[in-house]
Amino acid sequence: MPIHEKSLIRPENIKTKENLIVEGIDVSGHWSTFIESRAVTDYNEELQEEIGALPGGEFIHRCWQCGSCTNACTVHAIEPRFNPRYWIYLIRMGYESELVRDKDIIWQCVSCNKCTYACPRDVVPEGVMKATAHWLELKGYTEKSPSTIFDEEFSRQIIARGKIEDTEVLHKFLHKTKQPLMQDWLVTIGRNIAMRLPVKWGLKMMWAQVFKPKTKDWAKSRKAIEDYIIEQDAHHRHALKLDAPKSKATAHQPKLHAAE
Amino acid sequence: MTKPILIVGGGPAGLAAAHAAASLGHASVLVEKMDRLGGAPILSGYAKLVPSHEWAKDAIGGMVTRVEQSPSIAVVKNAKVKAFEGTPGNFRATLTNGEAYDVGAAILTTGFTHFDSINKPEWGFGTFPDVVTTTQVEQMISSGKGVKCPSDGRKPKRVAILLCVGSRDRQIGREWCSKICCTVSANMAMEIREELPDCHVYIYYMDIRTFGHYEAEYYWKSQEEFKVKYIKARIAEVTGDGKQLFVKGEDTLVKRPITIPFDMVVHAIGMDPNVDNMTLSAVFGVDLHKHGFIGRKDAYGVMGATSRAGVFVAGAAIGPETIDDSIAQASAATMSAIASLRGTIPQAVE
Ligand SMILES: Cc1cc2nc3c(=O)[nH]c(=O)nc-3n(C[C@H](O)[C@H](O)[C@H](O)COP(=O)(O)OP(=O)(O)OC[C@H]3O[C@@H](n4cnc5c(N)ncnc54)[C@H](O)[C@@H]3O)c2cc1C
Ligand code: SF4
Ligand code: SF4
Ligand code: SF4
Repeated sequence: MPIHEKSLIRPENIKTKENLIVEGIDVSGHWSTFIESRAVTDYNEELQEEIGALPGGEFIHRCWQCGSCTNACTVHAIEPRFNPRYWIYLIRMGYESELVRDKDIIWQCVSCNKCTYACPRDVVPEGVMKATAHWLELKGYTEKSPSTIFDEEFSRQIIARGKIEDTEVLHKFLHKTKQPLMQDWLVTIGRNIAMRLPVKWGLKMMWAQVFKPKTKDWAKSRKAIEDYIIEQDAHHRHALKLDAPKSKATAHQPKLHAAE
Repeated sequence: MTKPILIVGGGPAGLAAAHAAASLGHASVLVEKMDRLGGAPILSGYAKLVPSHEWAKDAIGGMVTRVEQSPSIAVVKNAKVKAFEGTPGNFRATLTNGEAYDVGAAILTTGFTHFDSINKPEWGFGTFPDVVTTTQVEQMISSGKGVKCPSDGRKPKRVAILLCVGSRDRQIGREWCSKICCTVSANMAMEIREELPDCHVYIYYMDIRTFGHYEAEYYWKSQEEFKVKYIKARIAEVTGDGKQLFVKGEDTLVKRPITIPFDMVVHAIGMDPNVDNMTLSAVFGVDLHKHGFIGRKDAYGVMGATSRAGVFVAGAAIGPETIDDSIAQASAATMSAIASLRGTIPQAVE
């Protein structure tokens, strides 16, 4: 249901008591059904600061709630509950519980950036969606999203070797997201490649799959990237008042050390 | 030699009118009812002005000095005009201090009166000491004492500014927008955040009317650089428990009732017609606008003309105006007044 048509009474707010005595009068029965107040009784000033501290969230405090982002949004067109304007407001005012209710929709942003081009205040709503999904993960409200898992595997390889090996990215991604390797579309691609690719290239591909080559002199770059990621991760955790990761290996994202 | 011009009211408009006449070599008599010149910005102790960012006492103080030092301006303080008789070019003004002046024309720059928040009792002014008005906060800042809760002198951690207090409200017969209070509030919010970085400032609005250049410089800047929060809600009620204030209303963007605790609530008070307008209308024989401000004869003909020939009006006497516009109107009205004495007054197009 779109936000503006949202029902004011939520099923979970309807409370029925078996037996109830109010001011000495037994009101058990019909009269013991109540609707809990929807009144907001405080703002949580931390929420905007926290999401604003994550990459993409920097400009959230600019939003003036015009709704251009929601109107332009690809996902909103097919899922009316997907409403960047609304979430930005919840974050700005610190309506945390309200935001968390939508945790299973927020990550569905497809990063098309239509909102970014529509926004008159350069809020970069796409970035805010990313920061919010990130925040939900860091706070433990959501599991890692498939796209995070994909990004992690992708980055893990880049960091380890300065290169990615496509089949390995795909293989590990499917494995981690518990998807079968033998997907129809994949089988088709594989078969077509096998049939059409010049033999020399095919051998090269197989060689790469087995030996996983590194970019030359990668060690220095690798160190710099790792340091940066650790620094950023510490910074984000600090902003969210989370414990610092115990060691490099447990740093949130991406996993730093390649298996090899 | 033509007679001097009478200017009634020594606020920004009156000061500008007297200066304009002097720069054209025309004498004027400036009558001010208070013991000081400068009008609202000086009498009410405003802090930094919109849009110049200058302190009111410097910016308007400069205009006062210029007038007080001019040989062609006679300044009469602590006086009002008791009677105004005669015809254009030939008036006699009798003052409450017994003096009388023969003048050729008059310009009313009698300004406005601040809305008295007591008239909106549901918003807690007069009941809770920490409910204050924008003029009080201006004074806290301009006096250098800083922004503090009047009840116990603590520095507020959370401040709510309620817009449109005494404006845009049929319940109290005020159908006008006071024009400047949105911008003044955005400016004030930034000043509070600058002084007290740990204090969060929320502005409750119906619309934000930071017109023209005020948009980027005040509204946007307050959000982008100072993280001031704007909530679309007209507050229904301000209550308190002796320790904190509670602002009740509906957050219309999420369709939820709110009851939020605050340390201080600021009323962005509007501009009422000058309480003297009935008397001024009778003494000068000018019609009032239906809302009680001094009426203008027309918009595009003779600048500042009223219903009585030879009597002109400028500034917040006409309706809510900014200082810039008051000054511009006063300069235009002075031109009309001098032109009327030279017999070159054009007629309005029918
Ligand atoms: C809280 C607040 C903050 C504001 N801040 C700004 C700002 O930052 N920038 C801005 O541009 N504008 C600001 N304004 C608006 C500004 O106050 C007015 O634009 C300006 O004061 C209008 O000047 P004026 O000379 O027309 O009237 P006034 O300033 O009201 O001056 C009128 C003068 O006439 C005198 N007078 C009145 N009646 C009589 C009488 N019967 N006989 C003799 N004398 C009389 C008064 O004593 C007064 O000196 C603010 C307004 C408010 C309420
Ligand atoms: S980037 Fe995300 S929020 Fe923005 S329009 Fe695309 S799907 Fe919607
Ligand atoms: S388009 Fe920009 S300013 Fe408008 S609601 Fe979306 S984020 Fe806010
Ligand atoms: S300027 Fe703003 S606060 Fe003042 S009356 Fe108009 S809308 Fe309300």
